[in-house]
Amino acid sequence: MTAGRRPLLHKAPLVTAAVVALLVALAVLVPVDPTTPDLLHRFAPPSWVHPLGTDQLGRDLAARILAGARLSVGFTLLALVLCAVLGTTAGLTAGYVGGVPAKALQSVVDVLVSIPTIVFGLILAAAWQPGLPALLGAVLIVGWTPFSRLAYQLAIKQAGAGYVDGALTMGAGTWWILSRHILRNAARPLLAHTCLRFANTMLTLAGLSFLGLGAQPPTPEWGAMLAEGRNYLYLAPRLVLAPMTAIATITVAVTVLGRTLNGAGPPKPSLNDVLAARPTHMPGQRRA
Amino acid sequence: MVTRRVLEVPGVLAVSSVLVFLLPQLTGTDTARAALRARSAESTPDAATVARVTHEFGLDRSLPEQYLSWLGHALTGDFGLSFTTRTAVGPQVLRATSVSLTLVVLALVLAAGISVPAGVYAAAHRGRLFDKLVSAASVLGVAVPEFILGPGLVLVFSVTLGLLPTTGWRTPSDAVLPTLSLTAFPAALVAQLTRAEMLDALGRPYIVVARAKGLGEQHILWRHAARTALTSVLALSSVFFAGLLGVAVIAEVIFAIPGLGRLLYDAVLAQDLPMTQAGLLAVITLALLARVTADLLQLVLNPQAREAQR
Repeated sequence: MTAGRRPLLHKAPLVTAAVVALLVALAVLVPVDPTTPDLLHRFAPPSWVHPLGTDQLGRDLAARILAGARLSVGFTLLALVLCAVLGTTAGLTAGYVGGVPAKALQSVVDVLVSIPTIVFGLILAAAWQPGLPALLGAVLIVGWTPFSRLAYQLAIKQAGAGYVDGALTMGAGTWWILSRHILRNAARPLLAHTCLRFANTMLTLAGLSFLGLGAQPPTPEWGAMLAEGRNYLYLAPRLVLAPMTAIATITVAVTVLGRTLNGAGPPKPSLNDVLAARPTHMPGQRRA
Repeated sequence: MVTRRVLEVPGVLAVSSVLVFLLPQLTGTDTARAALRARSAESTPDAATVARVTHEFGLDRSLPEQYLSWLGHALTGDFGLSFTTRTAVGPQVLRATSVSLTLVVLALVLAAGISVPAGVYAAAHRGRLFDKLVSAASVLGVAVPEFILGPGLVLVFSVTLGLLPTTGWRTPSDAVLPTLSLTAFPAALVAQLTRAEMLDALGRPYIVVARAKGLGEQHILWRHAARTALTSVLALSSVFFAGLLGVAVIAEVIFAIPGLGRLLYDAVLAQDLPMTQAGLLAVITLALLARVTADLLQLVLNPQAREAQR
């Protein structure tokens, strides 16, 4: 391939990184008021005061989208970090220790992945109140399993390495070896996996909110906004189009970015990348 | 490996049935009160009524006793009466399951029909415009969820063009939009997989041999390379099935389809316990069956997996 004409797909990561950075910067820097209703200006069309117009209660749509970016991205990061920590701890420990804990973990993961995340979302929303805690719980119940699978495999690979034997002869304990040696060697693939799971986690959160199981009105959450906007599909389609575009932009951008960071650019994703990209409720990631 | 998984199924089902049975205990709901709330709306029942219903439902017996009697009935398809509609739950769940199955199978067949040829063709013409289009489309398909695609399709085909109905499940035209919105994700994944597996297969020595024998390019592509590539793709597509069942909840809510997801959604929100329990068991059973099918398909299609069995 000549250096002068690089294909569009190779520039995509740069463009998407810029898009994500811009959205996050806007969301953090611009002061907005996403919740105060203004009933005299309901369904106002886009103007200089309201760049995207107003919604069914006269709230500024652009402000709600930006506030939604803060909420969605922040909440996704929180859920993702918790999933990663839980899954990595369980997987690494089980993989290194082996035996009964490993078998037990495998069975638990096997059962969990056969039940769709949405089902847990429904049950938790019914048991507690529908809201952000129930949402987080539902995502956590299934969300840690992919990390645990990956960490488990990585730990098994590392446990046989010579340096572990070396550390053992020096009198290192299990915890020391796990945290100081195995975790450090497994960190890179785990981080790449975290990036790939971002879009998935965000979509699960938005999907549950869309069903009314997550963020409740008037919280400006994209999934919830999409669900509310659907009632005014004929009157003001932009109420649906705006959150739709926002979600799609972020997820596409992060997916492309994650693949690039993972070293598997868009031209040839490996089987595992493809499966890791989505969804939590898929009992995939095995082939032989 | 595969045998172990198949043998596991009854065990997993048994554990699931216990968990499903314990749903009120796990979520901290009082069954008698939930039933009364469904019957008499907002008014708070007095202690005597609650006690009577508790006895009527057999909730004053020990948990193992309750479980065994519940399981005995459940095995004959009797999951009790719905709290809200006061009709038998079993037949309703069965009907909803068949609707969901239709929807998911339609979506899967359509996905395979579009994406396998697209993936094979893209791999054969690597780097060309079509290949790039397939790659871009599959990134979009993976990243854009059905709860965006669904309303989007409605916006275009129902609101703007007025071609298709927005919601419902009566005529075949009702099935078009929900099927399409469910198809995108598996189609995108299968296209990427097919393409990657094809590229892998096309680089193998037996393809060179086939070319050296003077076989036509199309023959090599479809009869030799695609056959190898498809073994893993096919086995994986059946795995999508379980995932689609979950995703179908969203599609069924968007398009008001009386499927399993919709039933479960309504039942949970109305605290309709018998309905929820039966629906959950149906989802888990279907997911397990899909997994076993995937494993068995792999055994049939992939000689290496068969080899590992011995």
